[in-house]
Amino acid sequence: MLRTQTLPSYSDAVAAKATEAAGAGGFNTSLAGNSFRWMAAPALLFAGTMIAFPFGYAVWLALSDVQLGSAPRFTGLDNFHRMLADPEFWNGLRLTLLLYVVSLSLQLVIGTWLGLLLARFQSARGLVRTVMVSPFMLPPVVVGMMAIVILDPSFGIANWLLSQLGLPPALWLSNPDTVMFTIAALDTWQWTPFVALIVMGGYLSLPHDVFESAEMDGAHGWTRFRYVTLPLLGPTLITAAVLRSVDILRFFDIIYLTTQGGPGTASTTLNILAYRRGFEFSELGYASAIMVTLSAIVFGSVLMFARLRRAVAW
Amino acid sequence: MRKFGLLGSALFAAALAVTSPAAAQSFNWRAQDGQTINLMFNNHPWSQAMRDMVADFTAKTGVKARIEIFNEEQFRARLTTLMQGGSADMDVYMSLTSREGSIFHRAGWYADLAPLMADKSLTMPDFNYEDFGASIRQASTFGKQIVALPINQEGPLFYWRKDIFERCKIAEPAALEDIPAAAAAIKKCDANQGAWAARGIRGVTPYAMAGFIYNSGGSFATPDGKPGLSQPNSVRGLEMYANLLKDYGPPGALNHTFTQVIELLGQGRVAMTHESSNEFANIVRFPNRANDLGVKVLPPGRDTKISKPVAIGWTVAISSHSKRQPAAWLFLQWATSREVQAKLVQAGVAPPRASVFEGEEFNAWAKELPIRRAWANALIEIGRTGTGIYQSPTDRIPEARDIIGGAMQAIVQGKASPAEAARAADADLAKLQ
Repeated sequence: MLRTQTLPSYSDAVAAKATEAAGAGGFNTSLAGNSFRWMAAPALLFAGTMIAFPFGYAVWLALSDVQLGSAPRFTGLDNFHRMLADPEFWNGLRLTLLLYVVSLSLQLVIGTWLGLLLARFQSARGLVRTVMVSPFMLPPVVVGMMAIVILDPSFGIANWLLSQLGLPPALWLSNPDTVMFTIAALDTWQWTPFVALIVMGGYLSLPHDVFESAEMDGAHGWTRFRYVTLPLLGPTLITAAVLRSVDILRFFDIIYLTTQGGPGTASTTLNILAYRRGFEFSELGYASAIMVTLSAIVFGSVLMFARLRRAVAW
Repeated sequence: MRKFGLLGSALFAAALAVTSPAAAQSFNWRAQDGQTINLMFNNHPWSQAMRDMVADFTAKTGVKARIEIFNEEQFRARLTTLMQGGSADMDVYMSLTSREGSIFHRAGWYADLAPLMADKSLTMPDFNYEDFGASIRQASTFGKQIVALPINQEGPLFYWRKDIFERCKIAEPAALEDIPAAAAAIKKCDANQGAWAARGIRGVTPYAMAGFIYNSGGSFATPDGKPGLSQPNSVRGLEMYANLLKDYGPPGALNHTFTQVIELLGQGRVAMTHESSNEFANIVRFPNRANDLGVKVLPPGRDTKISKPVAIGWTVAISSHSKRQPAAWLFLQWATSREVQAKLVQAGVAPPRASVFEGEEFNAWAKELPIRRAWANALIEIGRTGTGIYQSPTDRIPEARDIIGGAMQAIVQGKASPAEAARAADADLAKLQ
């Protein structure tokens, strides 16, 4: 019986208290509702000021022709029509999705492996976690500058190391065919430990009796991982994927620092394209249209993972 | 009685103004004592020197100056954001009027300096605006509005390692066409020695590439004002620049701007480059470079005999949104004064005032090292023969330069022949007109 009993929610409790007070002649439900609204007001005001207004303004700019120094002039969907006919937009979309798929896949696979490894690592766990945290604690500008110095084809240490191994030098960020993979590798280096820590936390919170039962049933190694660990880690991995999706899709700083979207347009993702159009070419309306589209893609990916999370819940 | 009192006061004030004009119009450096102004600069030898010298301005005027310095891209992004938002936080900013002047002027982002200059109570008696070169003044004048004051003059110069040329028995390039030949000879002489480096990022390339196009007899515009990159001589210059980068440039050159180019030249990894005169001070800080480098204006075309270098100047402007324009104007006067410019020469900033260029301090400094004299001579020449135009006719200058640099990149990447790349660029440039 106890198992099926549900706890009253906070609002139910407030309403019950209000009814009780109203019965006593000193209070009423509308007063309780009002005080609840007042309590929520600061949060709503903050969300409205910091989220809804900037986004609404960006949408307004996207629907306008914006000349520097003058008020925006409403032009409807013109900027979106132009965007759909712009080869640079399609190139940017392709590169954004390529970076997304490559980075996210690498980070989830390597992060899961690393997280499970760390969970079994007993000695000096605190030290290991501190070391793991350090890459994603670095500001992006530091990572970008490090990449410029290390990966420079002329005086970078990466090519020197390759030469010591008898391998030919690589162009890293300067080759249009490899630049996006190099950027994906940089992001993976920085953020895989973050995924690993989430996975480790999720794994350590799993019920141990399930693993003991699996062991008793003869599930070891890969079989245990495939049929027990991975399904149990599903919600954790989805959470990690949501967090990384938002970041990867709006990835900007390291690309801008290292390549500025080049060589050519080989790393001009949607974010870089919008920045160039907005700030370098002063086309704020068109840049906003690109950014609103990118925001829709980010929102879509979050919704997709939210659905997936329900599907893998246990 | 009250009416008479007011009238009397007004008459008294008017009489004072008439009888003592000198008192009414006297300029006072401390007129804005106690004010604080905010300045936003692009990372540049001038702004770095300003950061070190700004205490002198405060001591002279009593005006505190808060300086923020950003790399060029971040500087432009922040500037656009602040100005578009109508922010009064920033009072003074650097501006490359040859690039963004027409757009900023149309947006109303520059305070007009002409009325300030005409007001004798606000402008120091020996300011002498005509001391700035005529072409530099012209670049910051729109109609009757003076939007900024020049702080330097600069342009790309040809730097070459004399010792490497001597060791490989190669003659100093006298014509533009000698440069690829010299690069080939250097590679033959010493395969480990880099021969050439230059800018490869799209938007910043035309600054260094324009000399190749002009000296080859080309132009960015046709005689009737249409985009002219696909004219035969323009294609020749475009091709030479792209081939130098492709055949003799460092790996990854298409991601390079002046920072990488200067590093390569300074470290001795390349023997030649065509890079900004501004970077002179940074280059000669590297060991031995003050002794083994040569510097001059890009050689003229052999057959065309044309030498038409790029010559531009950064300026400093007052924001039209500033609420502290008189204090900001004091800063502009101080920063562009003869005394301060004479000191800035030590930081490698080429002075835009003729009196400083011809002055004893500058000449004494230039005489100390042969390379300084060569640099000064090159600057005098680009000031005389240079142009600030290195894109096809349009108001959308940054976009036009991006397209022109993109054509060069397409050739280096083998995506298009020089003629195809130039034709495609002209088609895109025509859309900007």
